[in-house]
Amino acid sequence: MAGSTTKTVFDIFQSMESGPAAASSPTTAQAWLEHHSRSLGFFIDEKFVLPADRRSRSLNDGKGGVVCSVACAEEADISQCAASSVSGFKAWSGLSCERRAKVLLKLVSLLGQHTQCVSELCELCDASASPSALVRLLQYYSGWAQLRDTLITGWTPLGVVEVVTSDDCSLYSLMLKVLPALAMGNSVIVVPGWSCGPPALLLAHLFTGAGLPAGALNVLTGCDMTLGAKVAQNPNVSYVTYSGNKQDGVTLCESTAGMGVPVSVSPYIGATCPFIIFESADIDSAVEEVIEAAFKKRKEVNWVLCVQESVYDSVVARLRLRMSGLKCVALLRESDSSLVEAAVQEAQQQGATLVQSSAAPPSRTHYPPTVLCGAAPSSPCVVSPSPGPLLPLMTFRSNSEAVTLGNHSPHGQAASIWTEDLTLALETAKSLSVGSVWVNSHSVFDPCLPVSGHKDSGTCTDGGQEGLYQYLRPSSSTPSLPRSSPASLDYSAFGTETPAPIIPVDLDSAPQSLLQLVGGKTCKSVSGCSMAVRPQEGTATLGYCPYGGRKDVRNAVEAAIKVQPGWMKKTPSVRAQSLYSLAKALEAKMRVVAGSNCIQTSISVEEANAEVDLSVARLNLWAAYCDKVQGGSLPMPKSGSALSFPEALGVVGVILPDKHPLLSMATLLGAAIATGNAVILVPSEKYPLPVLSFIQVLQASDLPAGLVNVITGSRDQLAAAFANHSVIKAVWYWGSAEGCQYLQKTCTRPLKTLKLSCQTEEDWTQSDPALLEELWRNAVQWKSVWIPTA
Amino acid sequence: QSSAGPGLYLEVISRVRVNTQAVQKRAQHLQAQKIPRKQFQTAWLLKAVTCIDLTTLSGDDTPSNVHRLCMKAIQPIRADLLEEIHMHDKGCVTTAAVCVYPSRVADAVKSLKAANCSLPVPQVGSCSVSHRVPEVRLAVRDGATEIDIVISRLWPSQDSGEAMYDEIRQFREVCGDAHMKTILAVGELGTFTNVYKASMVAMMAGSDFIKTSTGKESVNATYPVAVVMARAIRDYFLRTGHKVGFKPAGGIRTAQESLLWLMLIKEELGGDWLRPHLFRFGASSLLADIERQISHQVTGRYAAYQELPLA
Repeated sequence: MAGSTTKTVFDIFQSMESGPAAASSPTTAQAWLEHHSRSLGFFIDEKFVLPADRRSRSLNDGKGGVVCSVACAEEADISQCAASSVSGFKAWSGLSCERRAKVLLKLVSLLGQHTQCVSELCELCDASASPSALVRLLQYYSGWAQLRDTLITGWTPLGVVEVVTSDDCSLYSLMLKVLPALAMGNSVIVVPGWSCGPPALLLAHLFTGAGLPAGALNVLTGCDMTLGAKVAQNPNVSYVTYSGNKQDGVTLCESTAGMGVPVSVSPYIGATCPFIIFESADIDSAVEEVIEAAFKKRKEVNWVLCVQESVYDSVVARLRLRMSGLKCVALLRESDSSLVEAAVQEAQQQGATLVQSSAAPPSRTHYPPTVLCGAAPSSPCVVSPSPGPLLPLMTFRSNSEAVTLGNHSPHGQAASIWTEDLTLALETAKSLSVGSVWVNSHSVFDPCLPVSGHKDSGTCTDGGQEGLYQYLRPSSSTPSLPRSSPASLDYSAFGTETPAPIIPVDLDSAPQSLLQLVGGKTCKSVSGCSMAVRPQEGTATLGYCPYGGRKDVRNAVEAAIKVQPGWMKKTPSVRAQSLYSLAKALEAKMRVVAGSNCIQTSISVEEANAEVDLSVARLNLWAAYCDKVQGGSLPMPKSGSALSFPEALGVVGVILPDKHPLLSMATLLGAAIATGNAVILVPSEKYPLPVLSFIQVLQASDLPAGLVNVITGSRDQLAAAFANHSVIKAVWYWGSAEGCQYLQKTCTRPLKTLKLSCQTEEDWTQSDPALLEELWRNAVQWKSVWIPTA
Repeated sequence: QSSAGPGLYLEVISRVRVNTQAVQKRAQHLQAQKIPRKQFQTAWLLKAVTCIDLTTLSGDDTPSNVHRLCMKAIQPIRADLLEEIHMHDKGCVTTAAVCVYPSRVADAVKSLKAANCSLPVPQVGSCSVSHRVPEVRLAVRDGATEIDIVISRLWPSQDSGEAMYDEIRQFREVCGDAHMKTILAVGELGTFTNVYKASMVAMMAGSDFIKTSTGKESVNATYPVAVVMARAIRDYFLRTGHKVGFKPAGGIRTAQESLLWLMLIKEELGGDWLRPHLFRFGASSLLADIERQISHQVTGRYAAYQELPLA
């Protein structure tokens, strides 16, 4: 604005321009950086550490100026950091809950003293976080730190938790992972992307002032995203959690496959989210908010505006009026400008009309906010959104079509819906498969809202009490995966072995042909192949079971997806009754099922009967669970109603362990269907008989046909078939380390929730409530709905 | 256009939906905006001055204090200050109007005529329709060119707005060519939805301005109400192509507030509305603070009130 100083009062009086914004100069943050000579090291053991010969990476601000440089961690730094975190964990988890809560609260007052420095540094680094949001996070999690042992009994912290973020992640999202991990008593290694690097270092430093023990919070910075996997390789790390964009999340999952460390990701950046305006909405407010949501410089999600046909004209007329005067939005990179131009041209060629701000023409660094009217779900601007301030607009006819449009996307991050009709709002909120629904509002974040990205948008829950469990394990559990280095595994060859040919040898014994269960009907495998079933001890052939493959899995998924939505919609008490009836049916067939278990696993009749009894008890327990554990209303610090709902994942693939074939099946099956999922069970490859005999129990119960499917065959082959079917949202796998590695590597596009175990000696008879609760929590994803009121 | 109105469209009114919390959030967002600085601020403040309906509405008004008010309206900012910023010769810095009770209209018109100036003189009515219609007729005859009317039948009434519409139509007819500003008394309307609906009815009945309140009630012009009324004006513009003005009144006392109001109007309605024929402040003490602020902008010093001429 070189000309602004020469403008006379009269000129401005005529034009009424607002003039240039006051340029803020981040002097406090600059002074802090200057204090560190503009080259930041790592933060390990309460101190900044900058080894002499480390490579460094310089961080630039938007205009190309260097903000500071951060060091790149090497192997020595990682082991030093991990060792410090281990002792940090000892000190931190040894404190009382009260003390931990105090430390978090103390940081609130420290933040108050250094608000200027923190917020300026965040702004310099584009890490966008308001100090008030950080304070809210700290206060919320300080409460949980205090109440951990009171409200969450039977659980214990994991140990060293690694929190990784991508370069474009916000500080809020980083802290939404770090603070609950700390509050539960873990020590944390933060591996921030570049935007969060300097603010994370500053906060770690402030934390020491609040009394956090040395090593409880360490920060390592790296030259690129590979550092996350390198740190995860360290055997002291118990859990890795990630926040940021999808691409880097997938890379992290793939590169940590086979390390034996559980990884969960929240790829909240770049998701496509519907912004739905119904005819019953306050159109003016909806238009205002969509403009605020969609045209940010740093857009975290790609909004798609869906407008009911009947109000299309009035929405577009208001958009035209409001957008005519909007300023151009800065592009993140200069190279984006050609992408934006191309996207707009392509949309125009396909018949889209533009609603565009006319205040200034596009330049290489700026582009005017633009709405692409007449977009369709197949339009490139919807399928693969380009950078820049573009907003596709689609229309829909009916309320149900709005839900269809909103759901037809690989993402399940969030949705904003606008209507003054409460029934419509709640019905739509329930039907959208997204983690957050904002009614008459958008982008509302608060730590009390539990949010799991649905579909391809995440594999863990952040926020709320529900979000704490990713940093805890049942006290009686042991780590389910051994730590190891990734084996060299030929992923394309995994699970491609062919069944052993069956040749007629001993025709006199004539073993029976067993059938699997797909869509409620017993059947052979699609390929027609079978494999021999042998007892635990001995080599006799007990029978031939189907050798299922990916086509059987496909058929089972088709059947499951048909009945699962109806099953989930049933009221919890109806599901409970169905489970009770299943337990009853098992009781009735006790002799048959126990008998098959005896033959298969060579246990005594008493033992087999006891296992059936336990299985009945387990099913009854899950039946009782159905209508007892539910979401509820949440204490938001604003006026309105916040609700959380546990929702089914969809179709769960379960590869059952060899141990306790019947009991393990009953435990896992019950957990999955109690919460509304459909399941595809793969019985133990070695001992399928008990589960196959359970098929008649399933058929005798009143579960809908297709809700539970049983496919026998090669464990690896069926695991690979699960991994390669996008509808299956979760895989629970008991098997080999290679199998775990394969699933971790391949279940990334789309993301699947994995529960992996290589343990062979798990004791399924123990009924620790926390262990069962963990299963239940694995079988649900959370949705939060926010309805603000005045 | 002035005396016409498109008629009452109840179907449009019945479909009005206003989400209170979204409006409040929007109002908060608008209040948190950064105000213009330096010479931009000076220009915006001058614009605010030109949008003021300089008001005196006391029972004890006499020709002498109305005369003082009129003189201040003609020269609202001290001449030397205007000269400093080269605005003295532009001939555009007067307040928009002088606003008095009907009985003082003749005095005000006389004072302004004597000063060879043609500022409009609105008036604010009282009592019931039967009293006020003749009052308005009198005021128009005395030379009032703008009439602020108070209506007794407010939303929500049992007949979904028809009575309110009819009442305003009566005023519309006696106003003749004079501009009519309809006072909605938003404090008594209860909900934002009612504010929106009442605004629509007032515009459909041919109001040239819609005004928040008389300025003497407990609830006066608030930002959320302004957002709602501005959106109703926008809605009416989109439906009819006709631009109706907006006049907040009551409680606007500081220069800072006047800037926020102008910014709110610019954001919600666009630059077209930042002109006296589409936007007015109903205020009495606002001018003094703006003049003081301009004096600070020009001289760099904070003036005492007595250094600036009294209204």
